[in-house]
This record gives sequence, structure tokens and C-alpha cells, in this order.
Amino acid sequence: MKKRRERIDRGIKVRAEDIFAVCSWREMLYLSAPRLLPIVGFIVLPLILGVYWQRVLLSVAIFALLAISWDILAQSGMVSLGQALFFGMGAYCSGILNHYFGISPFVTIPIAAVVGGAICTVLLLPVLRLRGVYFAMVTLIIPLMLERVIEATKIFGGTEGISGLTSLPSTWLELYILLAAVLAALFGFRRLMTSDYGLVLKGIQDNDRSVMNAGINIYWFKIQALFIASVVGSFAGAMMTHVYRFVGMPVFALDYSILPIAAAMVGGPGSFAGATLGAFILVPLSEALRALGGLRIVFYGVFLVIFVVGLPEGIFHFVARKYHQFERWVEVEK
Amino acid sequence: MIMLDVLNLMVFFENALALNDFSMNVEEGEVVGVIGSNSAGKTTLMNTLSGLIIDMRTKEKRRGGERITVYGKVVFDGEDVTETSPSERVKKGIVLSRERHPVFPESSVVENLKIAGYLRKKLQIHEAMDDVFKLFPALIHLRTRKAGFLSGGEQQMLAIGMSLVVKPRLLLLDEPLLGLSPMMQKTLVGAICNLKKDSGITVLLTEQFARPVLPIIHRGYVIENGMLTLNGTGKELMDNPEIKAAYFGV
Repeated sequence: MKKRRERIDRGIKVRAEDIFAVCSWREMLYLSAPRLLPIVGFIVLPLILGVYWQRVLLSVAIFALLAISWDILAQSGMVSLGQALFFGMGAYCSGILNHYFGISPFVTIPIAAVVGGAICTVLLLPVLRLRGVYFAMVTLIIPLMLERVIEATKIFGGTEGISGLTSLPSTWLELYILLAAVLAALFGFRRLMTSDYGLVLKGIQDNDRSVMNAGINIYWFKIQALFIASVVGSFAGAMMTHVYRFVGMPVFALDYSILPIAAAMVGGPGSFAGATLGAFILVPLSEALRALGGLRIVFYGVFLVIFVVGLPEGIFHFVARKYHQFERWVEVEK
Repeated sequence: MIMLDVLNLMVFFENALALNDFSMNVEEGEVVGVIGSNSAGKTTLMNTLSGLIIDMRTKEKRRGGERITVYGKVVFDGEDVTETSPSERVKKGIVLSRERHPVFPESSVVENLKIAGYLRKKLQIHEAMDDVFKLFPALIHLRTRKAGFLSGGEQQMLAIGMSLVVKPRLLLLDEPLLGLSPMMQKTLVGAICNLKKDSGITVLLTEQFARPVLPIIHRGYVIENGMLTLNGTGKELMDNPEIKAAYFGV
């Protein structure tokens, strides 16, 4: 008798989907464990890590925010190669406000997030009608252009940058604000994307003409998605400025564009949890490989290639499937 | 002589059964029709015969998507081709013209035909192209037009023409009449008839609406929910009251 491998949902998943989930601790745990894991992890990790790894965790959170911001855009049909634009804009906004006007970081960070986001949205407005690779190219070029503009015109400290900015009162506060922001972005945007509003954004990615046919102005929705994504990116940049007490040309560097994409791809594109998970794997990995010196980039690249070729769905989707479903051999019946 | 033999074909998309124990055969020089309603498994059958399902299977596997499982055998000219890649099958002579007439929209009609004839020599392509234009005279004036700007029927003619340039021994036509006007359907059915007469190509076609195709097919298979429910000659099927009720729209 011929056999085939069957993939079906676990019994507990089916039970937990229903209201009966509240009848048993096991089912409640099954539902809540994947959600509690990142929350508890983010609360506990700073307490048990040393000073060096706390710094690494900080960059993990920054890149997780950038990766989430990339994923919002990707899910609404805009493939961006320029997260550095959002990041750098937020960083420069808060740096300028703090340095030239002496405003406290608690005020500059929110202002920089919103104003930076608005500036980025306005900058990208003319190219919103472009799709696919054209939009990607423009987003790639703008941050590199801004970098050169600052170098050539020597505004805002030129190549030297602005240093000696005010930092937040304590490193704990920095860390917890960032981690809370990641959690809020992770769960908030996930909720947003499953709402009717998110449905429109996903529809724009799938087939924008059909969305237009439904009587929806897709450009207005694209502008909103772009603004949301750039606020997230600008917030990450503003936080980074005050953590390092410095802002300069490197904030527009290619790293801030490429690493978030890599994180989202490794973690699992199309899910914010995947983007966060990807940042959680790639940033510490790049730190751990620092000992290898020049070969670091090679290892890093090989790792990425293996992942993209071998597991294109991303780690998160793979793990989620194993969590919800199991496989067994069944006889083929006619 | 039996050219294509399909033995107990079963295709699963994850846990859904698209084709269930489907057996059929096509003899050399015949026009055979597979008739079935929506989601009966016609396109799955065509994809399995042309080998596209093998490509879909690997891609889905990599992506972690639906697992596609194929059981049973496809025998072409006495050779088991169940696991042969689509490109190898084209070299053997099985050529599929997919449903919804996929053409290269940015290329002109002639360029489309040239791309399709990649496997053949330049001189042969020119001959084959002349044959296509003879078969579909409507395409002659559209030679340099971009394929994306053609109408649905013209695109369908071009799509069939593209599979003819490869010089198939067995031509698979997946819903060639889909979305065409009755007038256009008549032209196309006539062309398929000529095709068989002039170049002796064996044709296997699928269709939902049986009325225009039944008169020209030698034999037909009726497929429902992936299962074979009925087979017989074109005439037998035409006289069958069930077929009349279900696929003739009377």
C-alpha cells in the first residue's frame, strides 16, 4: 500500500482556537506562550546580561524596529532599500533639536519621530506611484545623496557630525524604552495589519488595481503606511542619537538599509515577529563574529545565502508551522 | 498506437485530492477532450502531463508551502516520464499551451514566436512561423504589434501558435476557448481541426463548455472532482443526456 506524508493541525491548536481554550491551563498556555515569550524575554534579558551584551541588545532593538518598519512597507507593496533614510532623518532631527535648541531628549525623541517621519514621507511622495524595483532604487539613492549633501555643504557639523548631545538619565531607561517600543510595534502593528485597515494595505500589495476598483484611493493609504513606517524608523534613529550622544554622516550608511532587510528575510518576511526574531539572530551573530576580523563579512554573507536559499519562508514561519501542525504517514486510499 | 498513457494518477495538494485515480490514454493522431466543470482537476491534469507540477512541487517545498504529492504513472511513447522535468518533456514532444493565454506582453508577436521556438533551428522557426500564420491568418497583420496589446482571442491564437512553433508531437491545450466570443470559438475550433489534418499533431484539450469541442474530438473523458466519471467517443458523449444537461447549457 502506498503511503504519503500528511500535514495536519495539532489537536490542541484546534481546541485552542475556540472559546473552550479558557477551560484548560494547557490550552491557555499553548495560546499565550508564544506571545509571552518575547515579553518576558525582553524584561528579563537586560537584568541578566553584562554591560557589553546590554549594548548589543540595544542595537538588536534598534534593528528590530527598522526591520519592522521595512516589513510594514513590504506588506503594503512598497519594497524599500533605504531604511537608513528614516533612521538618519530621525537621528538628525533629534540631534539638531538637542544641540541647537537645547531641548531635553524626552521631548526631542517624540518630535524627531513625527517630524522625521513627515519629512521622509514628503521626500518620497513623488515616487509613491512607482512600483517594485523603481521605488526601491529611489529609496536606496536618497540616503546616500543626503550623506553627500551634508559632506559637501558642511551643514550640521559636516563630516564631524554633532557630538556632546544630552543622553537619557540612565542606560536602563534607554534599554527599557527601546524594548517597550519594539514590543509595542510588534504587537500593535500585528493587530493593525489584521484589522480592516491592514487588509487594504495587504490588498495594495497583492493587486493594487483591484483595490482601486473597490473605490479606495490607494495613494492615500500608501502615504499613511509610509508615514507609519518612517515614524518607526525615525524613532529608532532618534533613540540611537541620544544613546551614543552623537549624530553624524554614518546614520545614512548602507548598513541601516541592508541589515533590517536581511533580518526580515531571515526571520520571515510578512510577519513582524519574524522581523524581530531575525534582528535577534543577526545582530548578536555579527557581534560574535567580530573576533574573526576581516573574515567576519564572509561568514555573515554565507550564513545569509544559506538561509535565503534553504529556508526562504524564514525561521518564524518554519517554527510556527512546527508549533501548530504535525506530520504523519498515512495510507493513500482511493 | 498508444502515445500517452496515464495510469492511476493521484495528485494531492497538501491534504486535498485534486486528481483521484485518474487513468486515460491518447492514441497517435487523435484529438482527445477532457471535459469538466470548475475545480474538477483539468488544469492539474495538464500541469502533471506537462511536468510543470514537478517545478511547482520543488518551489512549494522550499517555501514550506503546500506539499504536492504525485502518485501513478505518465507514460509517453512507452517511456515513463512521471519524474521528467518540463523542459525535457518539451524535447520529447509534449508541449502545453497554458490556460488564460500567457504571452510575453512586452514582445511583439514575431518575437513571441521566436522565443517559443528556442529549441529549433532558425530556418525551421521561419517555416513553423509561416505555418502558424497560415493557421491563424488574423495574426499576419499583427506581426509587429506588442503581444500585450492584442485582444484575448488574438492572444489565445498566439499562445497556441507559440506551442506549435516547438513542433509538438502531443499538443496539450488547457481551456483554449476560455473567455472567447462564440465567433472566435468557432474560428479556433476550426483551426484546431485543420491543425490535426495538416500536420498530424495529436491534441489533448480540456474544456468546461462542451458544445463547441464535442463535434471535433475523437474521444472524450468527463472528469468530476478529480475522478473519471464517463468516457466515450465524441458522438457517444454528445448523445448522452447527462452530458447534455451538465455541459451543454440546455
